Amino acid sequence: MPPKSSSGKDKDLAEEDEVLQAVILADSFNKRFKPLTVGKPRCLLPICNATLLDWTFESLALAGVQEIFVICRSYADQVKAAIRDSKWSKPSSGLKIVPIVTAKETFSPGDAMRDIYTHGIITSDFVLVTGDLVSNVRIDEVVRAHKERRRTNKDAIMTMVVKEAGAAHRTRSRGESGVFVLDPDTSECLHYEPTIGYPATPSIKIPREILEEHPEVEIRNDLIDCSIDVCSVEVPSLFQDNFDYGDIRRDFVYGVLTSDLLMKNIYCYVAKDGYAARVADTRSYDAVSKDILARWTFPLVPDDNHPGGHSYEHLRGNKYIAKDNSVVLSRTCKVGNNTLIGAHTTIEANASVQSSVVGQRCTIGPGAVLRDAYIFDDTHVGAGCVVEGSIVGTHVRLGSGCRVPRGCLIADGVVIGEGAKLRKFERVSKKREAQEDEDEDADDEDEEEEDSDLEEVEAHQEGVEQIVGKGSNALVWPQGLPDEEEEVEERESHNNQRLMRIGDDASDLELSDEGSTTDDDFSDTDTSYSMRSRASSMTSASGPSFSLNLDPSTSASAIHSLSSAAAETEFRSEVAQSLERAFAEGHSVENAAVELKTLRMASNVPLRRVREAVVGAIVDRVPLVPDDPAAQRAEIARFVRRWGQLIDKIGGVDAVETVEALQYHCAGAGAGARQPLFAQVLAALYQQDLVEEEDIRAWHRSAAARGQGLKPGSPLAEGVKRCWAVGAKMIEQFDAESEEESEEEESDEEAPKAKAPAAVSAPSSAKAAAEEDSESEEDSDEDSDDDSEESAPAKPAPAPAPAAAPAAAKPATQPPKAPAQAADSESEEETESEEASDEDASPAAKTASAAAPAASHPAPAKTSTPAPSTHAKAAEGPGGSSDESEEDSEDSAANA
Amino acid sequence: MDFDESSATKIVTREFLAVVLAGFGNELGPLTNNHGDDPCLKALLPIANKPMLEYPLRWLEQSGITDVLLICPTSHRAAMTNYIQSDASAPFPSLSIDVQTVEESQDMAPGTSSILRQFASRIKSDFILLPCDFVPPPTLPLSQVLNKFRTEVTYDGAIATTCFFEASKHDKGTLTEDWGLPPSNNTIIFDERSGTLLYVDSPDDVDNNNQEFEFRMSLLSQYPRTKLSAKFRDSHVYVCRRTVLDVLSQKSQYESIKEEFIPWLCKPQYQRTRREKYGNILSPATNNLSQALALKHSTLHLPARKQHLRRSAAGSEADDDHPRSTMPSPVDDDDEDAGEPSLRVGLVAHRASSGFASRANNLHTYLELNRFFLGQASYALPTDPERRAFIDQKAQISSDSMIGHSTRVEERASIKRSVIGAHCVIGKMAKVVGCVLLDHCVVADGAKLDGCILGAYTKVGGKAELSRCVTQPGYEVAPGETARNEKLETSDWTAQDTSEDQDTDESSEEASDDSSESSE
Repeated sequence: MPPKSSSGKDKDLAEEDEVLQAVILADSFNKRFKPLTVGKPRCLLPICNATLLDWTFESLALAGVQEIFVICRSYADQVKAAIRDSKWSKPSSGLKIVPIVTAKETFSPGDAMRDIYTHGIITSDFVLVTGDLVSNVRIDEVVRAHKERRRTNKDAIMTMVVKEAGAAHRTRSRGESGVFVLDPDTSECLHYEPTIGYPATPSIKIPREILEEHPEVEIRNDLIDCSIDVCSVEVPSLFQDNFDYGDIRRDFVYGVLTSDLLMKNIYCYVAKDGYAARVADTRSYDAVSKDILARWTFPLVPDDNHPGGHSYEHLRGNKYIAKDNSVVLSRTCKVGNNTLIGAHTTIEANASVQSSVVGQRCTIGPGAVLRDAYIFDDTHVGAGCVVEGSIVGTHVRLGSGCRVPRGCLIADGVVIGEGAKLRKFERVSKKREAQEDEDEDADDEDEEEEDSDLEEVEAHQEGVEQIVGKGSNALVWPQGLPDEEEEVEERESHNNQRLMRIGDDASDLELSDEGSTTDDDFSDTDTSYSMRSRASSMTSASGPSFSLNLDPSTSASAIHSLSSAAAETEFRSEVAQSLERAFAEGHSVENAAVELKTLRMASNVPLRRVREAVVGAIVDRVPLVPDDPAAQRAEIARFVRRWGQLIDKIGGVDAVETVEALQYHCAGAGAGARQPLFAQVLAALYQQDLVEEEDIRAWHRSAAARGQGLKPGSPLAEGVKRCWAVGAKMIEQFDAESEEESEEEESDEEAPKAKAPAAVSAPSSAKAAAEEDSESEEDSDEDSDDDSEESAPAKPAPAPAPAAAPAAAKPATQPPKAPAQAADSESEEETESEEASDEDASPAAKTASAAAPAASHPAPAKTSTPAPSTHAKAAEGPGGSSDESEEDSEDSAANA
Repeated sequence: MDFDESSATKIVTREFLAVVLAGFGNELGPLTNNHGDDPCLKALLPIANKPMLEYPLRWLEQSGITDVLLICPTSHRAAMTNYIQSDASAPFPSLSIDVQTVEESQDMAPGTSSILRQFASRIKSDFILLPCDFVPPPTLPLSQVLNKFRTEVTYDGAIATTCFFEASKHDKGTLTEDWGLPPSNNTIIFDERSGTLLYVDSPDDVDNNNQEFEFRMSLLSQYPRTKLSAKFRDSHVYVCRRTVLDVLSQKSQYESIKEEFIPWLCKPQYQRTRREKYGNILSPATNNLSQALALKHSTLHLPARKQHLRRSAAGSEADDDHPRSTMPSPVDDDDEDAGEPSLRVGLVAHRASSGFASRANNLHTYLELNRFFLGQASYALPTDPERRAFIDQKAQISSDSMIGHSTRVEERASIKRSVIGAHCVIGKMAKVVGCVLLDHCVVADGAKLDGCILGAYTKVGGKAELSRCVTQPGYEVAPGETARNEKLETSDWTAQDTSEDQDTDESSEEASDDSSESSE
């Protein structure tokens, strides 16, 4: 493919002494530094007493960049002010810095790139960096190499700077990184796979086709991605063309490399020496600080070229003390190695400071201990405080005797009371009331965003007093899994964030970096291996959020959170449409299931929603046959037979939840036509063995089934109650039945002759049994019709019918056991019979449902002694050959 | 140096047993088809007028291996023992070769895995599994592979060492498509620094996902910088610990060593569950640590040491719950320091730049190998008057040719870039260019051969013209016949042969690597 080129670009390439431009994405587009970033942008956080933005400017200046565009979003005014006040805005600096404020709708680097495109500020190759870069890499060399390449290959649109390190380097993010596939000779990046730490990316996929042109490539998992990209002018336009590109690596690089159409090349520049790292999270904040103090970033070190313009004296052991003699060190204080102490700071007697950074104008009280602590300016650490592995903002006052254990983030202006003991990884910010509206002029939306965050935080403030101590103005941010967890993208999930958190060694997390956890369940046959491991990674990925939701006792109360409601409504309508199509066009169950799974993944809703949607759809789609209960039952049975399997195929089997979903759906339909369907559909599900007796019992016991937590008297609660009553009825019948079964065991022996033929083939015998059952049922029905009518006055006919039908279908699949065991064994055999009965039960169900209406007053098979004897003997067969039948039915299920 | 101990161990145990697999060589058909009732052994097909078996045997001998278990089909037994025992053709006095046979026919060959399982009881020590058709380069002595194995086994608990060679690039023009598929390379992932084989792309993987390579992330966390290469071919030389056989006997579903077992064997080194499952079998705890101790204290063994450090830095958690720690360890703390065995599969990657290597497992590579040796040799007319008499004064023989003994070359025959076997007759005015003629071929007057491989006892009639043909042993080309790009096979032998020939004809056409594999 000939490289398309415009004449303008050619001119650019020809021009040697053109201005080197750089674009800084000053916004982080995530919340990893919260609450430190409440009230100020991340790029203005200080690291080694100079703001990240200054470090970035310094790094770029070192690389010979002359013109810098700073793309800012949140707190743009602060960023602008910071640029205005910095030394770079002096005419002598030789740098031209232009802040550009993007729209508030800019939510990703991709959006920012599109903004750059629309601004039209880029005239030639430019350097794209993030606003949190600390680097001494000679970017100008990269630019030269890039231009050199462009001369021969116009499709080389980007050069990424990566730094050689090890897989476990401290500045290499454990939470998110990437695997680069490079051509060892040209460093062309042939493939990029993003990886995350938790749940650990289980496997890497590399397209086979790349080997056709590059027979030998390197797979590198040891590179630190510095997020320094030398881009050509067409990069912003590519973002413009592909509006779905969000992240530069995961979307843009991955997209360009895997695209069949773009035919663009991306190269890497593997920096062998030099230092470059991003302060992308609190963990790397720690790592980069240490690297700066250890002088890896030379010549950008505190005692020389300090980006904040401070001057420090470098003492043995990498101690840096501000030079202007304003630091007051008590005679008995201890200043350990790798420490930076800003100007006008006082360290009082017996205080100890190790591997820490202390800002300007701070006071470290007597006897205080700072270890791996980062204290910003104007902070007072009280006497006897212990601060470890934490970041403390500006103007913070820690009362005497405070303990700040590792991982804490204390935002600006917080006051912590005396003797307070924070928990590990506590995040604390100032209460809003106390917050002067200093950023009034900042954008409203910023405020709004913050507000919603803070509101959430404020909702969790009970018992905070003990933590932050008396006289504190602190808000404690919730620990652990946030409520909106389920919406969060995997890489921003709590556990993955832990890998990026300061002071957290995450040793309790199972990281498959060290030997995958996900192949626990994999067998040695390689075929199933890849499939299963993928499936297991899916489940493990969503593990935490699901388990929350699958718990039936909590689920009802935790159903809706406001924020997810919108996504859910959308999901609901999507599912409804999808099922509508499936029903109308007669898709196979498998196809429908796949479609649902995709939808679930796409909108990231819990499995429960899908189940509710499917159950609801089945109930709603059943054709109504008014005034003809028999036909209605047949209709339901037919429908459930066709679609019932879908409930279990959507990604997990939880029959209790199914029943609950059914209950709530029917109840929610009001007293209308659909509500009575509950009993019938439940019976049909039971016949299909989608729901077992045990499940119905479990459901019946659960709080949700009784309608707890619902407003009493509301139509929903009424409906739920009615459904629960129906369930109660059913369980009564089960109880009765198990008694009978004990009787039937005896009668079983009277009919040995039936065993032999029954054993021949499981399905046919089951069928036979079912037929016999249904006949016998008719007899028995008449025996006890009185009970039913009083129990369910609302719906005289339907309620008993399901109860009778299961009685027929059930024993057909159940191998006979000693009477006492019969009920217990059911749960053991559940899985077996479930599979085996996929096939078996359908004829049984057919005949049963056909038979049931035939009886004018169907009733629970309470005293049906003849019936059980027949099932029992028929069931002897399947019991013996259950293995075979299982296989058969599996096959047939697969065929279906 | 403890001389006593070393001499004692020498007497008690042999270190390695070489297992040489000699199969039918279906991929080399029709050269390996029967000649009459006599089988033509693949292992004895000559490369540069030496039976190909001689190359691996010589390789073994040079590295000091003494015990060889040669496994061949039952029908080949007579010919094979004849070769081994004859004085002239088996100049390997130091090798004690034990010829064993497996029941296999040309159509139904058991896989290499099952053959090895069958002879597991005879293999008491660590073993070297090698094919009869690997022609090792002189720059790669077997001892290099063995030494790597020795150090890695004792040092960090490796379980096997493999040997891959970089394939030479084909010139598109020289390939004759009718000779079957050209040999394909194996795609592997390996760590170049420590010489570790991490992943072999097996046909199963291709079936599962023919768009992408898929491998575990744990591979990359242990070996963060690896190479993915499609340049190499498997030499089928595997040096394995005896324990590997124990695992092989458990994996009875595997047919082929190369395509199924070795790809699998690469995985326990980085997959924890497999490691837990097979670690004990592959590397049982022993109290033999004399060498390990010595090596541990050596400073010269940097690559492995680094690797060990990196591993322990990266995966201290994984180290903790290694199955071995649950076993009562009979040795002291020093052994604990050594950590768990790596279960590595070592790799000796032989680059094409450092010498040509190939396996003669199909017609392309067979011809290529012959030509390679022609390039090495330079032919000069024999000085011995008796042998000189066979070559006519007016025959033209280029210097890059080879002529076997007792071969008669008639007047004005022209031979260029060819290997002519023993006892052949090249008629007057015949032209032989770029050919390989096996023993006892007769090329009548005026015939023209270009780029052909003639099986033994082939007769080419007068003025026949063959271009890029392969003939079955004993095939007779009628005078004046012309053929291009063909496999010429006899179909009019006795009834029993006919069926076999046709079968092999088809099977050899369709045969993938698999069949060649299983018939080594």
